[in-house]
Amino acid sequence: MTSSSASGRKTLSKIACNRLQKELLEWQVNPPAGFKHKVTDNLQRWVIEVNGAPGTLYSNETYQLQVDFPEHYPMEAPQVIFIPPAPLHPHIYSNGHICLDILYDSWSPAMTVSSICISILSMLSSSTMKQRPEDNDRYVKNCRNGRSPKETRWWFHDDKV
Amino acid sequence: MYDLIYLPGMASGFGESTSRPSQGPSFSSSNNNNSDAGNFECNICFDLAQDPIVTLCGHLFCWPCLYKWLHIHSHSQECPVCKALIKEENLVPLYGRGKTSTDPRSKAIPGINIPNRPAGQRPETAPPPEPNHFPPRGFGFMGGLGGLGGFAPIATTRFGNFTFSAAFGGLIPSLLNFQLHGFPDAAMYGATAGFPHGFSNSFPGGHPHRYHLHRATGQGQQDYFLKMLFLFVVVCVLVALMWQ
Repeated sequence: MTSSSASGRKTLSKIACNRLQKELLEWQVNPPAGFKHKVTDNLQRWVIEVNGAPGTLYSNETYQLQVDFPEHYPMEAPQVIFIPPAPLHPHIYSNGHICLDILYDSWSPAMTVSSICISILSMLSSSTMKQRPEDNDRYVKNCRNGRSPKETRWWFHDDKV
Repeated sequence: MYDLIYLPGMASGFGESTSRPSQGPSFSSSNNNNSDAGNFECNICFDLAQDPIVTLCGHLFCWPCLYKWLHIHSHSQECPVCKALIKEENLVPLYGRGKTSTDPRSKAIPGINIPNRPAGQRPETAPPPEPNHFPPRGFGFMGGLGGLGGFAPIATTRFGNFTFSAAFGGLIPSLLNFQLHGFPDAAMYGATAGFPHGFSNSFPGGHPHRYHLHRATGQGQQDYFLKMLFLFVVVCVLVALMWQ
């Protein structure tokens, strides 16, 4: 579902390539705690392993993030989703889409994959209950034909989790 | 090494490098060597800033990067790093010593014309030093020597006397003689009945001799400095005349 949307994507611009290489290098030197980049030769799609932080609801659980970069990264946000099964979280849909403002409206080109990862781990860690968003079924049905979460008009209503 | 390679053509050099298998090691080594250069990397493209520009909140960007973000991709006029409001007239360009103008379009997406980077806001130049203030250093210096005793300044004056009289002939020596006699102490002024050239009247302020006689030594030194200044002005005038 997500692969079909990514395969139609334009290749990275030179600026994006340049920046991603720097980010990857930085990651290799100083990876964010709890994350592991799965090595591929595809600079445009990163797969990252997330380990739930100890002492949180998700400790000892491992999930996979898929990060796809648009042609004009970092001017445009990357598409970040959990590869199902996605963690049970009030802001994470069962298809892996994440309701997190920095991935959409609040994206800034000064952010990095690393900073996104830290935000996602922080979101997981501050969760107090393992449950799906209220509108999970409706939303997932809407996205069935491989829509990117970036096309969703998100409503960011909860700044606690 | 990495920076050296890519500085001249940051935008053009990179496409090719992605396919180079040996990039990894060179990248990491260069990163360690050039960790300081990170202070001058654009916060958007992470390259050494091209046409560098700084926001009031202190964040550095390439002008093309910031322009594209603010005008094409962003919904708001915010600093990408700290979300402070950005006004274009408040951006500060950084002018280093290197090549002065890079083509701002070198990073452009075809079809997008990035204007020139905002110019620096230049305050007025500092006012030129007033003529009166020109010799204060010399004054201080000479004052110090004067305090030590008459010897060195006298030597100087003599030297000057010699030089100038040699150079200019008859007119100047009279001035310099005046100077020479004028210096050593206040009493001398009074005692100089044979103030040989009758110069006292034309001296600025036209102080009569008596006046000097009653002055303290420190003021006598001040007088000496005034005379030196006068001498200096006269020499300047003469040099100017000669120059013409």
